[in-house]
Amino acid sequence: MIETLSALQKILKIPGAGEAASLPKGGLGAVLAHAGIGKTALMVQLALREMSAGGKVLHISLEDPLKKVDLWYRELLNNLIKQNPAATSGLSEELLANRFIMIFKVDGFTAPKLEERLSELIEQNIFSPDLLIIDGLHFDGASRPILLQLKDFAARLGLRIWFTVHTHRYEEPLPDGMIERFSLVKDLFSSVFRLSHEDEKVLLIPLQGIPEQNEKFYLDPSTLLVNNG
Amino acid sequence: MKIQSEKVRNIGISAHIDSGKTTLTERILFYTRRIHAMHDVKGKDGVGATMDSMELERERGITIASAATYCQWQDHQINIIDTPGHVDFTIEVERSLRVLDGAVLVLCAVGGVQSQSITVDQQMKRYQVPCIAFINKCDRSGANPFRVISQLTSKLSHNAVALQIPIGLEGDFKGVIDLISMKAIYFEGENGETLRIDQIPSSLVSEAESKREELQNAASLFSDELTEAILEGSPVTEEMIVEAVRIGTLTRKLTPVIMGSAYKNKGVQPLLDGVNRYLPSPSEVRNEAFDLDRDEETVNLENDPDKPVVALAFKLEDGQYGQLTYIRVYQGTIAKGATLNNSRTGKKVKIGRLVRMHADQMEDIDAIPSGQIGALFGIECSSGDTFVSPGLNLAMTSMYVPAPVISLAVAAQDNKSQVNMAKALGRFTKEDPTFRTHVDPETSETIIEGMGELHLEVYIERMRREYNVELKTGNPRVAYRETITKQAEFNYTHKKQTGGAGQFAKVAGFMEPTADESSFVNEIRGGTIPTQFIPACEKGFIKCLEKGPNLGFPIVGVKFTINDGGFHAVDSSDIAFQAATKGAFLEGYAKARPVILEPIMKVAVETLSEYQGPVMGLLNQRRGMILGVQDEGSHCVVESQVPLAEMFGFSTILRSATQGKAQFTMEFAQYRQVPQVIAEKLIEEAASRKKSAA
Repeated sequence: MIETLSALQKILKIPGAGEAASLPKGGLGAVLAHAGIGKTALMVQLALREMSAGGKVLHISLEDPLKKVDLWYRELLNNLIKQNPAATSGLSEELLANRFIMIFKVDGFTAPKLEERLSELIEQNIFSPDLLIIDGLHFDGASRPILLQLKDFAARLGLRIWFTVHTHRYEEPLPDGMIERFSLVKDLFSSVFRLSHEDEKVLLIPLQGIPEQNEKFYLDPSTLLVNNG
Repeated sequence: MKIQSEKVRNIGISAHIDSGKTTLTERILFYTRRIHAMHDVKGKDGVGATMDSMELERERGITIASAATYCQWQDHQINIIDTPGHVDFTIEVERSLRVLDGAVLVLCAVGGVQSQSITVDQQMKRYQVPCIAFINKCDRSGANPFRVISQLTSKLSHNAVALQIPIGLEGDFKGVIDLISMKAIYFEGENGETLRIDQIPSSLVSEAESKREELQNAASLFSDELTEAILEGSPVTEEMIVEAVRIGTLTRKLTPVIMGSAYKNKGVQPLLDGVNRYLPSPSEVRNEAFDLDRDEETVNLENDPDKPVVALAFKLEDGQYGQLTYIRVYQGTIAKGATLNNSRTGKKVKIGRLVRMHADQMEDIDAIPSGQIGALFGIECSSGDTFVSPGLNLAMTSMYVPAPVISLAVAAQDNKSQVNMAKALGRFTKEDPTFRTHVDPETSETIIEGMGELHLEVYIERMRREYNVELKTGNPRVAYRETITKQAEFNYTHKKQTGGAGQFAKVAGFMEPTADESSFVNEIRGGTIPTQFIPACEKGFIKCLEKGPNLGFPIVGVKFTINDGGFHAVDSSDIAFQAATKGAFLEGYAKARPVILEPIMKVAVETLSEYQGPVMGLLNQRRGMILGVQDEGSHCVVESQVPLAEMFGFSTILRSATQGKAQFTMEFAQYRQVPQVIAEKLIEEAASRKKSAA
């Protein structure tokens, strides 16, 4: 099982995986992309990477129902296992025991509410995450208070949080690759990627806090797994 | 009265338990003049709703068997199947959906889309049943029909659109505004039977106009005529909207939503109008059968009463005059005195008495034409059998039947009960394919198997009440499975020389785990085992799979390959090779790291948000894996996977932990390996049971 997990980790090629993509404790990370490009697929791989290293992931979705989120994990895990002949049939279930999904409505999501829910899980010894994925939060200048609360809460609990940032086609990227409304809060983030179409490929472009890469990384269109070359 | 097939509707009423579907059916029967008084489900007046024909259903306030009934509304004939709401009986729901052309999805205006509604909706999707939604209980405190509509969209992915808006809500619920005619409808008279059509109250005009616009926009996707009228600003007629909504509904791309309160006699007549307007007639639904003579090629059936008969028996009931078989005719006409073939058994059957059912009362008829539902008397058959005219050999699509996950030993207390129990079990297994029974050869106990604790409890109660069986029951037992996890070799020689003819057989090879069904592979080269003994080896292997050496439960997922062996010209026989295979299997099995698998159930608990913590705690204590939590504002849904063995008595514990403010649904998800510590305990228990039985 251990060999399988390390093989899976090798397949999960995420740029800067050893360093910046792992985020420091209490750190925030973000992936910017248009709708339908693969933000959730990338998030799930960041989660799987954490899970295959023994960490626990709390995936919070403000958009999709529970079943859909679960399906994302199962699909990507199946694709990963197909690439790794050593994987056993019980691997998926074993890995998925390290994941917990919470679904909130966008307007019902607040940092104190999340903290309350999470404290219940930790106190009852049900689930104690190392990494949080927050998919579907809206970003602009008004998001600073909630991001500050989340950052504070992440620091207190020693968590790391990855966010998806939905960008629109009419939003021109700034010279640093960010978009204007995200720039207003970018100082709160340790690592930022952008997913972007380039020659029929979806490239992962490091924007902030990720060391220069020699290779290009992209999402394989058939499996949605991160690949290089 | 002869009714054209275009004016026939075969509908089901499906919903979460306690959404009020039985009350709704009762009101429909009242307004269509099938009954002349209304009763409450839980029988405050000691009578009970008409559709809950079984005594037990009345007592528990739930619907178990789908009683079929028919009624007429305006010039349409509506056949209604009242379907059970509890997940333990979903085979009944699925069967109903198989024979129905459309459905009414009843939702509670307070509870909204609950987990059971999701299960029922998936079943509707599987059988492509078009549906309309009825948001019931608008008079209850906390009612919010528009929240339910948004849940229909977000949770069930329906393109739900309101055809009405309520006039007042909760205690002030007075009637509805029809967004097509733009009129207010009030339900007056002692039982709401008189409809008063009036102008829209001035306070609701702007809301009605904006909702009408939403309706028009949603409907316009299905009608060019309507789209043009909207774009050109020409008058939009009622017919245009109705036709567009109908097209959207039939293609399952639109779900029209009607609202009311069946209990307060409000909104039922517009729902019946909706059934006539938007749900399909039998001719508008494509039905297929399998041609058994042509390798199960699919054949389209035509809703033509003059064609040869194709009909499906979808439900059996034991009536006072013998077996009553509910049947749906897809093609042709079943007439009294006709002779049909049962495609499963190949036997001819002569049609005797034909009836049309109204809950547990019946009306004699001469024929059941295509597209109709009726019942036959005196026909021996099982549920799911297809009846065809002589010369045809067709079968309707076989229905998906899940394997049972729980078993229970039952013992009759005296001889009379023993006889009655045998009768009852024979009947139940014919009625319900998910209910099975057998006698354990080791303990000689009668074992019943089913889909959950409540499923078995209901049959036990039915045996007691309907068949006067006095019986004792054992503790429920989980249907475990055994399997292997690694490859192992075997080389076994069976030798017996104790006087008389000797026995000699040698079998060698290997076994390995497989994700597919267990299989036997013959790789013998050079005749080390003569060909005539290979079937005996296979038979020996199949026998070994029946009972695992650890717990005595069936073994699954083993690929058994033989590649060498030996024989004796005189002493080798079928029996010797069967015995040798058994010995070889046991030898390999012990080395192949055997494990026990247990059924894991998908458990969804709905509760108020304040009880989320305790509910998760309960599931966690039961070795449950919590998949996640869906926050719905005031309440939440905790989804988890829990071993069935840990779920006994869960409803009582859940009730006390949440002060009755939680409910759960449970269905089989998968088999998974039992943790080692628990496996050891199970093996110990099995061994001691075996010892005490001996």
